[in-house]
Formats: sequence, C-alpha cells, structure tokens
Amino acid sequence: MKDETVSDALLREFLLGNVNEEERQRIEDLFLTDSQMRERILVVEQELIEEYLEGTLTTADREKFLLRYAQTAEQRQKLRITKSIKDWAMKEASLSQTVRASVSTRSLRARLLKPAFIVPIAVAAVILLVVAAVWLTRRTEERRRHLAIEQELAQLNAPSSQALGPVAIELSPVAVRSVGAASQLNTQTEKGIVELRLLWMQKERYPTFQAEIRRHSDNQLFTVPNLQPEVDGKAIRLKLPAHILMRGSYRIDLSGISSNGSISQPEEYNFVVNG
Amino acid sequence: MDRDSAIPTESFEEILAWLDADRDVAAAMYVQLRHNLAQTFIWRQCSDPEGMTDEVFDRVARKVHEVRPTYEGDPRRYFHAVARNLIKENLKKIKTQVSLEDVDLAEQQIPEAEQETVDIEECLQFCLQEMSSDKRELILGYYAKEKQAKIDNRRELAQRLEISIETLRVRAYRSTVSLKQCIERCLKRKDQQR
Repeated sequence: MKDETVSDALLREFLLGNVNEEERQRIEDLFLTDSQMRERILVVEQELIEEYLEGTLTTADREKFLLRYAQTAEQRQKLRITKSIKDWAMKEASLSQTVRASVSTRSLRARLLKPAFIVPIAVAAVILLVVAAVWLTRRTEERRRHLAIEQELAQLNAPSSQALGPVAIELSPVAVRSVGAASQLNTQTEKGIVELRLLWMQKERYPTFQAEIRRHSDNQLFTVPNLQPEVDGKAIRLKLPAHILMRGSYRIDLSGISSNGSISQPEEYNFVVNG
Repeated sequence: MDRDSAIPTESFEEILAWLDADRDVAAAMYVQLRHNLAQTFIWRQCSDPEGMTDEVFDRVARKVHEVRPTYEGDPRRYFHAVARNLIKENLKKIKTQVSLEDVDLAEQQIPEAEQETVDIEECLQFCLQEMSSDKRELILGYYAKEKQAKIDNRRELAQRLEISIETLRVRAYRSTVSLKQCIERCLKRKDQQR
C-alpha cells in the first residue's frame, strides 16, 4: 500500500468522514505505520482547520468539521489556540506592512527635504531655467531677425521696386552649368545690394517665381516670393542685401509659379561668397 | 473506559521488543503509537479516546505472548486491528454518527471562554519568545494571509526560502505543532497555579 495512491483531496475527505470503511482503514493503517504519511495527514488536517477558521468551508463540510473537531472542551481549546496563532500572524504582517509603507514614505520625504538633496535640485532647476530663458531669447531673436530679412528680401524684390541695377553675377542652373568651380561673389565690392541674374533654362514660362536661398554653413533658409522674370522670361533678377551674405557657399532653388498657383520643378543655382 | 489492570511488566517489555529490537526506538514507537491510536479514535468520534487507547494496549498485552511468535508484518497493524474490534464492540458507548438533524450546527460557534482567551494570548506571547527566530518568522510568514491571498503568499514564501511548497507545508506544520504544544503546556501550568 503506497501513500502515492493517497491524494491530499482524499485525505481531506477522510478527515471529514466522507470515505468508506475500507478506505478509512487503509488511511488509518498508513497513519499508524508510516511516519511520512502520518505527517501528511496532519498537514492536511491543519489546512482543514485553517479553512474552518477562515470561514471558507461549505456548510456541509463545516457541519462535519464541527462534529469531529469541536465536540470536546479540549478540541475547542485547540481550535482557539490555532485561531490565536493565525490572528497574531495576520496582525503582525499587517502592522509591519503599514510600518514599512509609512517608513518608506517618511524616509523618502525626509531624504528629499535634506539640504544635500534640496540644494543641488534647486541649483539644477535654476540653471535649467536660465538655459531655457537664454535659448528662448536667442531663438526668438533669430526668428525675429529671420523674419526681418525675409521682409527686406520681399521689399527689395517687390515688382514696385524693380529698378534694375548692375548685375553682380549671372548664374546658370546646376543642370546646364559646365562642371567647374562655383561662381564667386565678392560682396565687399558691392554697395548695399547684390543683384543676381538667374538664367531660366526651362521651356515653360511663368508669371512669377519663388526663390529659396540656403546658406550651407548654418542651413538658414530665406524664401523670396513673387519674383518677376525679365520680359522674355529667360532670366529672373534676385536682389540680396549684402549684409546677409557672409562667407560661405549658397544654394538657390528657383521655382516658377503658374497662374493657377502650381509650382514647377525647381532649378538649382550655387555660388560662393568670398567676403 | 474502565480498565481491569495495568500492563504487567513482562508484557510491557515484550510489546517493546515486538515493536523494535532497540529498546529506545521501541519506547519512542510505543509513545507515538499511543498518541496515534488516540488520534484515530478522535477521528472516529469516540467519546473517550485515551481510555480506549489504554484498553487496546491492555488487550494486546494479554495476547502478545501468543500472537508475537507467529505474527508477520508491522506489529502496529495488529494494534490497529484490536482498536477496530474495540470500536465495534463498544459501538453503543461510542458517540458516533451524531445525527445532523439533532443539532443546529449552522448556528454552532466555538464558545468564547474569556479567561481562556486571555490565557492563550499570554501563553502565545510567552511561547513566541521561547521559539527560535527562524521558526517564528516562518509561522509569521506562513499565516500572514488567508483565503485566496494565502496561496500566493505561500508560493512567494517558498520561493524566498528556496524550498518546495510541500516542504514549506511540512516545516510550517512542525513549527506550528511545536508552538501549540508550548501553549498547551503553558495553559496547563496556569490551570495548576489556580
């Protein structure tokens, strides 16, 4: 007779008196002769007592339990002892959990309120604020300057101020320009305004054009709308304030704007400012 | 249960020899067998488990000279057979099969004995102090939760201790039994002092 054939569920039924006489004798026999089995039965019995104390037994099992475990004064005392142990453990566990949580919160708060923590946090916050303010100021200033330049470009290139001046440089689109060095522009020789003549090589003619001027060094981009082509439509004049042309290479993307507002494929022009 | 006589010394010695060749081992088995038989009587709802256990040992003592030479197997099974016969013989005296209709068990509660509750609490605190911290922590962890939370709690506890759930159950049982026995001894002392 092996105890492997006896499950905890069967032992529970045995303890509640729900097994036949043959099974009962078999389990009792194991209880008397097999120390490991004896302990297993008593472990299951302890768990059954726990279930009773927790109120999780069914009504039928509870009635059977009471008949077997709460009939004598000694049995009732044993139940009260078990209950007191459980109550103590649960109370202690609950208390220590509360204390741990409280200590943890207080400890965190106390640590955060210590000067060693507050001072660096405050300093970091102030630095962050200053950096943010400086960055914001610079960004606002840059934006303002950018808008001012775009306004100046728009005014310079407005149809009403189309008085043609001397052309500083004539540029061909990259696609047709022969391979070689980019066109050079010396702004020191110019007075205030640099006038570029951009050759338009496409067959299509457009009433107006739009140029995007990009400086490679800082990737700044200025848009100049509403540029008027020359009478034959084969070139577009672009006036640039000399003060915006710093040393470096530039790229211009020129697009034709049709009367219905559609934009053509851009032509690319490159030049270099020497200073 | 009335007993006719105490076990004669020679029968007692023969019972010990029958249980085990080593007298110390046999003595331990004797004590354990008495305890276990009483437990089986309790499970069978006998009204006098201790008295019936005495009767079983008396009967075995009277027969041991005859039975022992020819009996094969674990002698404790013979004690068990005697116990079962005794239950049958005393069926009328044994409080068995209490009709569920006779008792309103749904309303039955374990009556609170105020003084006993105080005593148990005092003894519990005393015995907890007497225990090793390992055992105390084990009991605390094992019974910290109940119902569904109990299952998860015990699984975590077993993982923390790096033992199986089965081992945890046995360890907790042993520690709890040890604590209960201490409390029972403490309660007896308190009773004697009154």
